[in-house]
Amino acid sequence: MPDALDCELLVIGGGSTGAGVAWDAALRGLQVILVDRSDLATGTTGRFHGLLHSGARYVVRDPAGARDCARENAVLRRVAAPALEDTGGLFVTTPLDDVEYSNHFLAACPAAEVPVEEIPPAEALRREPRLNPAIRRAFSVRDASVDSWKLVWACAGGARELGARILPYHPVLALLRDGSRVTGARLRDLRGDRELEVRAECVVNAGGAWGGRIAGLAGLHVGVRPGKGVMVAVNHRLAGAVVNRCHLTGDGDIVVPSHSVSIIGTTDTAVEDPDDVEPTAAEVAAMLDAGDALLPGLSRARALRVWGGARPLLPRAEGPGIDHRAISRSHSVIRHSQVDGMAGLVTIVGGKLTTFRLMAEDTVDAVCQELGTDRRCATAETPIPVDGPHGHHRLSHRAEAFEHRLERSDGTDPLVCECEMVPRSELLAAARTHPGSDLDDLRRLLRIGMGPCQGGFCTFRTAAILHEAGLLDATRAVSVLLSFVEERWKGQRSVLWGQQLRQSHLDEWIFQGSLDLEHLPETSAPQSTRAQEPLPNGRDPLGRPLGTATAQDDRIASPPGPEPEP
Amino acid sequence: MKVDALVIATGEGSLPLATGTIDVLGYSPGLVSSPFEALPTFLHANPEHPYRIAGIDGVEHALAWLAETAESLGYQGGLVRNRWVPTVLGGLRPTSMLPRSMVSADLHANAHAEIVVAGIRGYRDFHPALLAANLSLATPPSGGRTIRARATEVEWPGNSSDLVPFRLARRLEEAAVRREIANRIRPSLGGATAVAMPALLGRERWDEVHRDLEGRLERDVFEVPGLPPSLPGLRLSDCLRRALRRAGGRLLLGSSAVSATRVDGEVRSVTVTQAARHTEVKAGFVILATGGFAAGGIARDRDGTLREPLLGLPVHGPQVGAEPTSPRFLGSQPLDRAGVRTDPTGRPLDTAGEPWARNLYAAGAVLAGAVPWREKSGEGVALATAWAVTGAILGGAQ
Repeated sequence: MPDALDCELLVIGGGSTGAGVAWDAALRGLQVILVDRSDLATGTTGRFHGLLHSGARYVVRDPAGARDCARENAVLRRVAAPALEDTGGLFVTTPLDDVEYSNHFLAACPAAEVPVEEIPPAEALRREPRLNPAIRRAFSVRDASVDSWKLVWACAGGARELGARILPYHPVLALLRDGSRVTGARLRDLRGDRELEVRAECVVNAGGAWGGRIAGLAGLHVGVRPGKGVMVAVNHRLAGAVVNRCHLTGDGDIVVPSHSVSIIGTTDTAVEDPDDVEPTAAEVAAMLDAGDALLPGLSRARALRVWGGARPLLPRAEGPGIDHRAISRSHSVIRHSQVDGMAGLVTIVGGKLTTFRLMAEDTVDAVCQELGTDRRCATAETPIPVDGPHGHHRLSHRAEAFEHRLERSDGTDPLVCECEMVPRSELLAAARTHPGSDLDDLRRLLRIGMGPCQGGFCTFRTAAILHEAGLLDATRAVSVLLSFVEERWKGQRSVLWGQQLRQSHLDEWIFQGSLDLEHLPETSAPQSTRAQEPLPNGRDPLGRPLGTATAQDDRIASPPGPEPEP
Repeated sequence: MKVDALVIATGEGSLPLATGTIDVLGYSPGLVSSPFEALPTFLHANPEHPYRIAGIDGVEHALAWLAETAESLGYQGGLVRNRWVPTVLGGLRPTSMLPRSMVSADLHANAHAEIVVAGIRGYRDFHPALLAANLSLATPPSGGRTIRARATEVEWPGNSSDLVPFRLARRLEEAAVRREIANRIRPSLGGATAVAMPALLGRERWDEVHRDLEGRLERDVFEVPGLPPSLPGLRLSDCLRRALRRAGGRLLLGSSAVSATRVDGEVRSVTVTQAARHTEVKAGFVILATGGFAAGGIARDRDGTLREPLLGLPVHGPQVGAEPTSPRFLGSQPLDRAGVRTDPTGRPLDTAGEPWARNLYAAGAVLAGAVPWREKSGEGVALATAWAVTGAILGGAQ
C-alpha cells in the first residue's frame, strides 16, 4: 500500500504554468500539492530564450494575445521585478523586411494596448551599435529578459510558505478515478524509490506540451501539438536590449540578452514527442544566418550551446498542413466536467511564459468553479517572493555581490565557476537547502557550467566540494559529475566549430586525458538517483564535525526553492 | 650533424595544460599493462595511428631521448610496464614515465601501506577528501591489496586569498613556507608511508622543494596533477626549451606562421608574423607541429568543413554531412580522430595521396588517427612522431 497524501488541489507539472497555479491557489487559501516528473522548470519553461514579451510580436497576427502580453508585462514588472532585467526591446525593419508591415505594426499597437515609440534608426544604432546599420525603421517597446527559473522557484517557494507541498522528481504513473471523477494521482518518488498516492478534490493538468499524455491517463483527448523551438546561446551580450525583426515572425528573428550571454531564437516545427527536441545542425545554421539580418556578424559569434524546447500549442483545428506559426499563442482552460463529463480535472494548455500569471488565474477560477467555491485571485497585486536585490535584476548584480563578499571575507571563499562568478559559499548554501540535488539542479539555481567553458573547470570542483561537505558520498560525487558532463555535451554537439570546438577539446583533455573520467570504478556502474544517506558518525570526509567547519558558508542567503522530499 | 633549427611558436603550447607524465598507451581500448607488448597489436588494429610513422623502435628511442634530454626532471619508466598514478579524482591512470616528483605515485606494487592526501584549504583544484575516498575504492590493475588513503587539509601559511597555482608554487620555493606546511601536515601522518600533494611543488627549484618536504615529513611525497595550468607540464616545457637553446636552436615565441611558399613540390619558405611584422623564413625542411583542434592546428567550420589553416592540407575526418559526434560524451567521437594524413615517413598527403611537398613533415596532435586523451597517448605520439620525422629529415639530408 503506497503512502498517501491529501489535498484540495493537485497540480501536475512544475513549469511556469503549474508553479503559477500553485502560487495563485495557495494565495486563495487552497491546500495545494505541486508535482513534476523532474526538477521544477526543466521542461519548456527552462528551455526558452527568456523573453518577456511586450506584446509587439503579436500585434498584427494575434491582437488579443498581444494585449494579454502587454497587460501581463506591466503586472510582472510590479510583482516579479527581481526576476526581470529591464532591457527594453527594439523592433527594427531590416533591408529584408517589408516596410509595409511596419505600417501595420505601428497602427496595430494602440488597439492591443502595446506601448510603442518610433525612434530614428540613428538613435537605435546609438543604443545598439551592433545593429544592422541598414535598418530603415526602429520601434522601442517594453520587452524584457526574464529568468524563468527564478520566477518558478519564487512561485513555488511562495506557495510553500502558504502551506503548499512541492514534490519535484515525482512523475505521475496514473490518475486515480472514481467513476467519472478524477480523485488524484499515483506518483513515483524517484529519489525515495517508492510510490505515493495523492488524493485531491481537484486536479490541474499543467503538463503543457506533455498535457496530452496526462489527459490520456484519464482516457481523455487533448490535442496538444508540441512545437519545437531551437535556441542558441552565443558568448557575450551582442545587444543590451531585446532586438526583434519587425516582420510577420520567422526563424531566428529575436535576440535576447540573458545574464552574460545572448540567446537567439527561434524555430517552430511540429513534433510528435515533446521530449524529441534535439536541435539539428541545419536548424542551428539557418538560425544563425538569419540572425545576421539583425546583428551582422552574429553567425560568426562564438556559439556556446544550443537547445530545443517544446511549445504547448493547441490548434483550434487539427490536421496536417496547418501553419504552426499561425496557431494562436493564447491559452485555453478546459474543464473536463463540461466537455468530457469527467469531473475534478482541469487542463491548461497553450499560452506562454509572459502570460503565465493570467493563465494561472483563469485556471484557478475554473478550479474554484469545480470546487463550488468563490475565491478572488490575488496574484496581480501580491509580489512573488523572488530572491534577489530590490528592483529589477541588473547584469552587474553578480559582480557587485562578489566584490561585496571579497571586502568582508578573509579570501578563503574561492570561485568555483569563474565564468558565472559562483563562489564556494554560494554553492554550499544552495546544496544544503536543496538536499539530493544533482549538478544540473544546482546549475539552474546558480548558473554553474553555463559560461564559455561549459563546465570544463567547475564540474570537478563542484562535485568535490559537495563531497567534502558531506553532501555526496564519493560514488555519487562521480556519478553526478558524469551525468553533468554528459548533459553539457548534449548542448554542445551542434555547435562544434571555431573557438567553441577548441574549448570542447580542451575539456576532453581535462576530463579524459588528465582525470581519466571514463575509467573510474563508478563510471560503468549504474547511476543511482538516491540522495546520500547522512554519514554515520556525523563528520564530513575530512573528519570535521558536520556543519561547523564552514560557518562562513552560511552567511550567504540561498534562493528559495522546492522543498526536499517529504 | 649540426642543424640550424628554428621553432615558431605562438604560445606555450599544450604542455602547461597537460599532466607532465609521459603517456604512451593506457587503453587500446582495454587497459594496457605493457605498452611494449600491446603496441604491435594496437598498430595492427589501428593502421592509421600516428605511431605507425615511428614504429615501436621509434617510440622507445623517443622515450630514451626524453629521459636524457630532460634528465634534470628525473623521468623514470619506459615501455615495459605502465605505472598507475592517482588522478585528482582519485582514479588510477596508466602512464609510462614519471618525473621524479611523481615517481612514488606509482601504485603498481603495493608501494605504500597507507597514503595521506594533503590539500591546501581554499585551493580550488585539489580536493583531498574525494581523492582519498575514490583512491580507497580503487584496486591496482596488477592486483594486490586495496589502497588505503586518508585526507587532510591544511591552512595556507599567510594570505590565503587568490590561491592560484603559480603563486603557490613560487611560495613553496621558500624554506619557511615549506617548514610551516610540513608542520601542519605532520600531525595527520600516523602510519602513512607516502603523502600525495597537489602538483604545485615549485617551478624552477622543484627538486629542492620535493626533497625538502620528503625530508621534513620522513615520507615519500608525490605530486598529483590536475586541472590546468600544470606545473609539471610547465617544468617539462621549460626544460625542453633550455635543451633547444643548448643545442643551438632558436625559439621565436609570440610568433605565428601564416603561410608558406611551395615551388616545384618543395616548401621554400614560411611567412611568419611577429609584432605586426611579416618575415620570410627560408628552410630546407619544415615540420608542421601545430596541434589538433584544441591548439588550432586543425579547425572545423560551421558547415562541417575540416581545415588545416596554415597550409590548407586536406584533413582526414568526418566530412560535411557525416555525423561527427556521438550523443554521449564518453561515446566514440569520429571528430576526435580528425587530422592530417601522411605517408609512412610522416609527410602530409595531398588530395591525390601524394606528399604535399617533398620537404614537409608533420608531428604530434595535427596527425589523424589518434584519440590521445582516450588512449592516454598524448606525449607518446608527440615524442615518437617528432623523433621519427626528425630522423627522416636527418637521414634524408645526409
